[in-house]
Amino acid sequence: MITVTMSRGTFPFYFLALVVAVTFFEYGGLVAGKGSLLMTLVFWTTLLQGAIAAAAVADLVGARWITVLRRQIMAAYPLLLVPPLLLILLVPRLDLYPWAEAPGQWLNVPFFLLRNLALLLAVYGTGRLYALRSLRGDPRTPRSAVFYLFAFVASQTLVAFDWVMSLEYPWISTLFGAYFFVEALYAGLALAGVLCFLLPPRQGEGLAAEEVKPLRDIGLLLFGFSVLWGGLFFAQYLLLWYGNLPEEIQFIARRLESLPLRALCVLFLAANFLVPFLGLLGRRAKRSDRVVGAVAAIVLAGFFAERLFFILPAAPMPVGILLVENILFFAFWLLTVHSREYLLPAGTES
Amino acid sequence: MRSEEQDKLSAFQRLENDVLAAMRRPGPRYLAAVGLCALLVLMLFALWGGLVWRGMGLSGKNNPVGWAMLITNFVFWVGIAHSGTLISAVLFLFRARFRTSFNRSAEAMTIFALMVAGLFPLIHLGRVWVFYYLLPYPSERLIWPNFRSPLVWDVFAVTTYMIVSLVFFYVGMIPDLAIARRRLPGLRGKIYGLLSLGWEGTLRQWRHYGRLYLFLAAFATPLVASVHSIVSWDFAVSIVPGWHTTIFAPYFVAGAIFSGTAMVLILTIPMRRLLRLEPYITVDHFEAIAKILLFTSLIITYTYIVEHGLAFYGDNPFEHDQYLYRMLGDYRLLFAIMIVCNSLLPLTLFVRRLRRSLTWLFVLGILVNVGMWLERFVIIVTSLAHDYDPYAWGTYNFSLVEFGITVGSFGLFFLLFLLFARLLPVLAVTEIKEHS
Amino acid sequence: MARFVCESREEFLDRLRALVDAGTDPENIRVRMPFYVPEALQVLGEGPDRLRFFALFGGIAGFGSGLALTIYSVLSWPIIVGGKPIVSLPPFLLIGYLLTILFGALGAFAGFLLLARLPSGRSLAADAEFPERFVIAVETGEGA
Repeated sequence: MITVTMSRGTFPFYFLALVVAVTFFEYGGLVAGKGSLLMTLVFWTTLLQGAIAAAAVADLVGARWITVLRRQIMAAYPLLLVPPLLLILLVPRLDLYPWAEAPGQWLNVPFFLLRNLALLLAVYGTGRLYALRSLRGDPRTPRSAVFYLFAFVASQTLVAFDWVMSLEYPWISTLFGAYFFVEALYAGLALAGVLCFLLPPRQGEGLAAEEVKPLRDIGLLLFGFSVLWGGLFFAQYLLLWYGNLPEEIQFIARRLESLPLRALCVLFLAANFLVPFLGLLGRRAKRSDRVVGAVAAIVLAGFFAERLFFILPAAPMPVGILLVENILFFAFWLLTVHSREYLLPAGTES
Repeated sequence: MRSEEQDKLSAFQRLENDVLAAMRRPGPRYLAAVGLCALLVLMLFALWGGLVWRGMGLSGKNNPVGWAMLITNFVFWVGIAHSGTLISAVLFLFRARFRTSFNRSAEAMTIFALMVAGLFPLIHLGRVWVFYYLLPYPSERLIWPNFRSPLVWDVFAVTTYMIVSLVFFYVGMIPDLAIARRRLPGLRGKIYGLLSLGWEGTLRQWRHYGRLYLFLAAFATPLVASVHSIVSWDFAVSIVPGWHTTIFAPYFVAGAIFSGTAMVLILTIPMRRLLRLEPYITVDHFEAIAKILLFTSLIITYTYIVEHGLAFYGDNPFEHDQYLYRMLGDYRLLFAIMIVCNSLLPLTLFVRRLRRSLTWLFVLGILVNVGMWLERFVIIVTSLAHDYDPYAWGTYNFSLVEFGITVGSFGLFFLLFLLFARLLPVLAVTEIKEHS
Repeated sequence: MARFVCESREEFLDRLRALVDAGTDPENIRVRMPFYVPEALQVLGEGPDRLRFFALFGGIAGFGSGLALTIYSVLSWPIIVGGKPIVSLPPFLLIGYLLTILFGALGAFAGFLLLARLPSGRSLAADAEFPERFVIAVETGEGA
């Protein structure tokens, strides 16, 4: 149905088109509110890095689901270059942060940019190496996966602490970094679940037997991650609630005082925990690509809501611009996955 | 074709013979080990009796460090227990084949570690006879325990964990107990027969057994993550600097699996040699366990970096001071040993040759356990010794009574494990057959 | 009554399939296996899986009891502790979660004992047989 595909030659042009379009929408208008680029960046960095990370973990432990989805997931590795470029574009917006006017040793604009760019580029470098080796079936793949995961953990930790947590400076939650990279893995798995659903249509009786089992693994993993995510969220919330310290509780109070934010909270709790837990509890549900795909899409929507919940009070943003930017990203990602046969080197998997 | 099947069958018989042989011979070295451990256990109970008789002054805890070595031991032993369930339940769900060499011993280790851990809140209580205040029952005073308190959550968590682990351990052993019933004569055979509930391996029994095992594994898996999270919240729900930090839950769970895996190595490497189980527990299996050790060590290192980094991030002077005290204050030697044992030495496991060296794994296991015990100690004692008000600062020096109780607890643990090795099959024979 | 002893998993499954294909009623076939072979269940016909209901109801009962116990006890003598609300959900949900696991596991275990009919009467007598090879016993005729 989609007739547009990219090839190796046209890819840079589409890439540039994305960056220019995002810049235009972000800076071209006269609307107030500066948070949309940050929000888009946080969301898509998590998603893209997390997808490759989920694949890396699967390769390390010898999981089987990756064999069915390898090319679809790895096709997005060039997109790992988008976050560093957009981070540079974010520089005019850095006055969103309370520390921009009163910089310290850790939180000042040059150091912030330096360390985050370095890590994002490291993620791109190691991710590219890992993706290419994995597609070739290179025996050094586990080692590349380990390097990528180190870069991924460091980068996601800084996304959490520097990009999101410092919006509320001096609020601290030491779990935030770990919470973000576990969420990234969860989001990556959800993306894999959505890809399961978007796999080419099958003829005859359904997917071949060797292909059903990996799908069941993804359903099982999504179920497990929903519990893990719920546990981590609860760990953070319980301690903030219990201590009730003024310097810590401001974060929650600010986000629960108005109705739209409260609604977002209920939404993402339902979407990231209740829906996957209850929906994937049954044996048949875990095996059905329709259910897994639907639940995965809901989980991704839940992550979007959650990021919004964190960022919105500190960085108001125009909703229209936000939606446009994210739709552009999503379309580009879809296009990349769809064009994978032209973009990726010939591999051993289908 | 025939001979291949014959080989397999005789391999099964050899497996059964080897495992059951361990249950038959109490040699002099075994009896000496049991004797030594029994002496340590006697010391434990004697010292505890002395503590109850003479009062808590015999221990070293005082203001401001009201939680010290006894609580360290509690957290340490509960932590050790988690690795057993990880190997049994979590690796089962992940279909990791290597687990069948370890899971019986690991499950036993879980139960014994929980039994030892359960003693410590009682010892720490002093007036042991009022322990039942924590249990939820309708009392004449019409008062219930405070369910908002993490101490009560501990009661529920550790009890749940103990019961579920026992059930899981027992269920996993039923077919092996039936094998013991078949192979061992006389009264012992009859006892194993009773314990095996008359198991015959019919289709109906196996079918429900398979489902039950899956459910128990599925139920036990969230317990691995949550029980030690709840224990960590004993500290984290306070507002003491160094304790009140949200990362405690995954940090403690990773630490628990770390120290528990090290304890699995300490137990199984000698057991394999002494009971001549080399064909069934191979170096490849140990390498897989070493990878778990390395992984959890990396998580702990990550946590150290995040915690110490963020302490200096905000404008909270109490956090700054607490972490400086931890690194440079009265307990800096313990802190340094902790970093070396938990973060630096496990990095050697990146080297394949060291991962596969059983001597190094055994030594590293001991060092990791030392490091993890010290980590619990450092967290608990330094935060209490040096919190908000300088007037209330103080230090803690352990007393010989507490030291003796700690050593005695190790004696109790090893005694229970030695008895287990003699009385119950140490390998999951049926599961090994199934996966061979 | 016909009795077959098979040495390996494959031989066992082949023999079972041959018996079923030859028209033997699966109801009359009794097997004993030294370890679980899931394919045997498919050959001999799978009934509904009833154990999961025990686990599910145990879990729900656990969650309910946890919430009931905590909320009832805190409402029966309402004391404000630590500035927290009387019915403070985060800790109560935690207790509910723990009891979900406990009762779910115990429910599953009880269900297993019921469905597998253990402990069997033969546990005390000596003739319970857990063989080391695969045994297939076919009952022929009436009242075997």
